[in-house]
Amino acid sequence: MIYLLDPLIYLLIYGFLLTAIMGLIASWIDRKVTARVQYRVGPPLLQPLIDIIKLLGKETLIPEGASKITFLMAPIIGFSGVVLVSTILWINNIDPTKSFMGDLIVVLYLLVVPSISIIMGGFASRNPLASLGASREMKLIMGYELPFILAVLVPVIHTHSIRLGNIVSYQATNGIFIGSLSGFLAWIVVILCVQAKLALVPFDMPEAETEIVGGPLIEYSGSGLAVYRLMKNMMLFTLPFFVMILFMGGWKFEGIYSLTGLLKYIGVVAIITVIRNTNPRVRIDQAVKFFWGPMTIIAIIAVILAFLGK
Amino acid sequence: MDLINLELFKIDSLSTFVGVFVGLFTLLTVIYSFGFMDKKKGLFSYYFYIILTLVASLGVVFSNDLVLFMVFWGFLGILLYLLIGVGEKPNTSKTSKKALIIVGGADALMLLGLALIWHLTGTFKMDGMRIPLNSAEAIWAYLLLAIGAFAKAGVMPFHSWVPDTAEDALTPVTAYLPASLDKLLGIYFLVRLTLNMFVMNLDMNTFLMAVGSFTIIAAVMMALIQNDFKRLLGYLAVSSAGYMVLGLGTGNFIGIAGGLFYMLNGAICMSCLFMTCGSVEKNVRTMDLDKLGGFAKIMPITFITFVIASLAISGVPPFNGFASKWMIYQGIINVGKNGGSLWMLWLVATMFGSALTLASFMKLIHAVFLGQPSPENPARKDLAGGRIPKSPLISPKSSHGDRAEHREVNPVMWVPTVILAVLCVVFGVFAYQVPLKMFILPSLKMAVNFSGTWNATLATLLMLVSIAIGIIIYFLGTITKTRETESFVGGEVLKEHPDMRVSGVELYNTVQDIKSLKTIYNMAKNKAFDLYEVVSKIVFGINKILRYMHNGILPTYLAWCLLGMGILFYVLILR
Repeated sequence: MIYLLDPLIYLLIYGFLLTAIMGLIASWIDRKVTARVQYRVGPPLLQPLIDIIKLLGKETLIPEGASKITFLMAPIIGFSGVVLVSTILWINNIDPTKSFMGDLIVVLYLLVVPSISIIMGGFASRNPLASLGASREMKLIMGYELPFILAVLVPVIHTHSIRLGNIVSYQATNGIFIGSLSGFLAWIVVILCVQAKLALVPFDMPEAETEIVGGPLIEYSGSGLAVYRLMKNMMLFTLPFFVMILFMGGWKFEGIYSLTGLLKYIGVVAIITVIRNTNPRVRIDQAVKFFWGPMTIIAIIAVILAFLGK
Repeated sequence: MDLINLELFKIDSLSTFVGVFVGLFTLLTVIYSFGFMDKKKGLFSYYFYIILTLVASLGVVFSNDLVLFMVFWGFLGILLYLLIGVGEKPNTSKTSKKALIIVGGADALMLLGLALIWHLTGTFKMDGMRIPLNSAEAIWAYLLLAIGAFAKAGVMPFHSWVPDTAEDALTPVTAYLPASLDKLLGIYFLVRLTLNMFVMNLDMNTFLMAVGSFTIIAAVMMALIQNDFKRLLGYLAVSSAGYMVLGLGTGNFIGIAGGLFYMLNGAICMSCLFMTCGSVEKNVRTMDLDKLGGFAKIMPITFITFVIASLAISGVPPFNGFASKWMIYQGIINVGKNGGSLWMLWLVATMFGSALTLASFMKLIHAVFLGQPSPENPARKDLAGGRIPKSPLISPKSSHGDRAEHREVNPVMWVPTVILAVLCVVFGVFAYQVPLKMFILPSLKMAVNFSGTWNATLATLLMLVSIAIGIIIYFLGTITKTRETESFVGGEVLKEHPDMRVSGVELYNTVQDIKSLKTIYNMAKNKAFDLYEVVSKIVFGINKILRYMHNGILPTYLAWCLLGMGILFYVLILR
């Protein structure tokens, strides 16, 4: 029972609650900064949470002819994927020696689950616009996955280990990866891939409100949309956290380090927000070319530098 | 030499493991065929060939003598030809000929390899030989024998019979031979070659990994652009063979165990996918992705099994495909620990390959099961009118032909797919407790050190807990009071605009139109990468020259005779 209790506590407290709170705060920072950039006042701190609660109270509509179970289960599957990833990340960050349950490759694969859930949900709603959006999401995955894998492997080349715990403790003794040239280049690539994973401008073509009205989310309302919103907010915490663990030494919770950790986190979120506010949306073919062209080349350079030990 | 000491057969853990699954796949295929093959001619010969295939496969698996092995192996090639020939498509006979020529040609090369082995060791016993790859003869022997395994498993460049077979043969035949049995047997022989008969060196391992990586990426890129349900699956079957070869090529225990595990998982998933594909075919009799759509609603069981098997083979945790891919990745990383940098290439190829596999499955799931049904699709009537059959498990009355009632296929057909889907889940969630402990590790007789961590059972449990949290959130909301509405497409009524349908066929056109890819795809469309077509073009080219010489005019022949005599005269007398 004790064997089970420990991970369960991690799941409930860290993986779900803390991640959700941090994600809601991140979403608030994002919205507030965006508002300030656009000379608006911006929402109050609790607005993201209020949005979700409000959505839970709304009627849940199901489009005619849709596959009901797939349509309703898709948000939950995506949500469970995020919770599992953030649990694994928290365990490895808090106690690098423990490192049970999953490693870097597991995290890489689990990070695709939310995207799959959005795609399946979009397909299941049987709406042409949702299909279009979902297919763009899939093409975007095909695009960014190549440079993302290359860049994420840079820490693996340095440490010769795929355990996240080892990667964190290696950085504690040998300095963080972002300080090295290869690590810095890989970090740039990963940040841009994270932008695409979160489907934020300039890579928001799967949802593109102004042309395909939210894409895969077009038919979602009420509870389904609430869970998707929560999932997206939690991704807004999980992905920057993943970048921190891989390249920026994780988030230590002792004394001054917890504050620097918070600064790192806010810094990554701020960079994402700034990119999102200063760029126009690109077309999907441009995005795929961007990721398979310049991004992959930068990632390959980072990998070669990592092999040379730089 | 007396007969008793020949030791023609040998039973060890590896052959038992493969034998058990050969039996399982045969059983499931036969059950499935009972449902699939109604009122078709030649039923007796069909089942007869299947039983003969079972016998021959068991012969291949348990024989210890290479000559005996070759006899069974060659017999399998002929059975493949016969079983493909049972199909009724216009191209069937052409395809069966192609399969026979590729597999049979590879068998001929294997015979050459056998001769080299006899020359090297003077024995045909598989368990007795450990040939080091230090001479040109040994390397040629290995390569010639490996070609046989490659052709059987459908590894590039000997793959081209697999997609064709998938398209033209009967679906149970595809689910039985290229998707499962040929994978098991081809990779089984490669394992025997690699672990028992030869002592591998670094170069040969690198060669295997290169072949595997190339197969994974090239096959899945081809799969992305296919518009025929079965042909697409055929390319994915080729791609999955790449993972198995690559796993064996890593040369360390965890990679080899991963490759062997993937052999099992790939066979289970592909066979399940082809069977579900056959269930859809039974309902509509077309495999053109443009004409399908919307089957999730009328065939829920088939849909769920298809989704499980496709997620499993794309490597989504916690299913079995992920567990084995994860082991292969660790094998590749262990290769990197010995220095060199090529391992990066293999690792990226495998990981990116599984993203592309996922993409091709999303295309299928959209075009076949979700998405809007096509206007020509007879299933549309059931769906558009919202009339869902009351008892979905009654078998369709095939006498109606194309206007048959559309509903879930009968249990004889869905039970095998459900069994395979359950295996996908069990072999993933209990990877260490069931398949690895019972089949894979005993057959390799070695201890495996995992360098990563993946606690599949615990992760699944936690995933279930978080799904429960999600459901609780649902029930906090208004999930109990749902309402069906028309979907919103900018205010238009969807039913009145069938041209607004997104079929799924054009899903990846943007990728296909990228310049460099387009050239390659056009070359592939002209069959520039199909070994069979290329070789046959060369052979017919030579034929043309010969035909030009044989023009039937007497003076030409006389001139040739005189020329020959002149040369003979020079060689024999003047020199």
